[in-house]
Amino acid sequence: MFYEEKDAGGYVALVPEGKFNLVSAPPLKARIDDLVREGKARIVVDLSAVDFIDSSGLGALIGGLKAARQQGGDLRIAAAGDQVKAVLKLTNLDRILSPYATVEEARHGW
Amino acid sequence: MAGEDDETYVAEGFAVPEELDTVHALLAQAAADHPDVDPTDVMLFETAVIEIANNVVEYGKPEGEVRWRLELSIDDERIAAELYDTGQEFTPGMGAAMPGEDAESGRGLPLAEAVLDKIELERVDDTNHWRMVRRRGHVPQA
Repeated sequence: MFYEEKDAGGYVALVPEGKFNLVSAPPLKARIDDLVREGKARIVVDLSAVDFIDSSGLGALIGGLKAARQQGGDLRIAAAGDQVKAVLKLTNLDRILSPYATVEEARHGW
Repeated sequence: MAGEDDETYVAEGFAVPEELDTVHALLAQAAADHPDVDPTDVMLFETAVIEIANNVVEYGKPEGEVRWRLELSIDDERIAAELYDTGQEFTPGMGAAMPGEDAESGRGLPLAEAVLDKIELERVDDTNHWRMVRRRGHVPQA
């Protein structure tokens, strides 16, 4: 998987593409950890180009969310597709990772 | 139509991360041949099959040497998959609750169970045989 990274100043947007799964989740989680360590703990994961997520991808998002919050930041997700939304709901994670429609909405207040 | 419905889609290979794309591709092919199947059914079934395949990839021993065979079929009632793998005997913790919000792992099997109407694992000779079925039009538990 490839992902783009955009540092917008007040937050960093990560834009993974394709399958967010056991292959691609660990490197993205490692990057989130690095960002948080660098003090960039406001992160938006733009899921507009992700067509499939598995439980490893969910784990990476939750791990990233916890790391960001521990540093006083947050991790928000934007533009999730149908499969991602369904999986978030089935795992009850939509309660703590509610999907924002767009990156613009997700970054609100940052 | 009966002939088409009886078709079985098969993929074989090593249970390694790179082969997960083959699983996705086989499901996509089966779905494309059956345009009457609700995309939501395909999407949820794919989610379950990938979680089980992930399990084999992650925990199957000896690592990198486990082989698998996936068979998919679609008929008027259901989508079904049989996954055979040569990994060690495995006793899954079926029926476990969905982990809490903070957990970073442990959701794979509960997620698969939530979207399937049937999931079974049987050890036959030196092979694990997973059987997964989703009834078409089934409304998943929210």
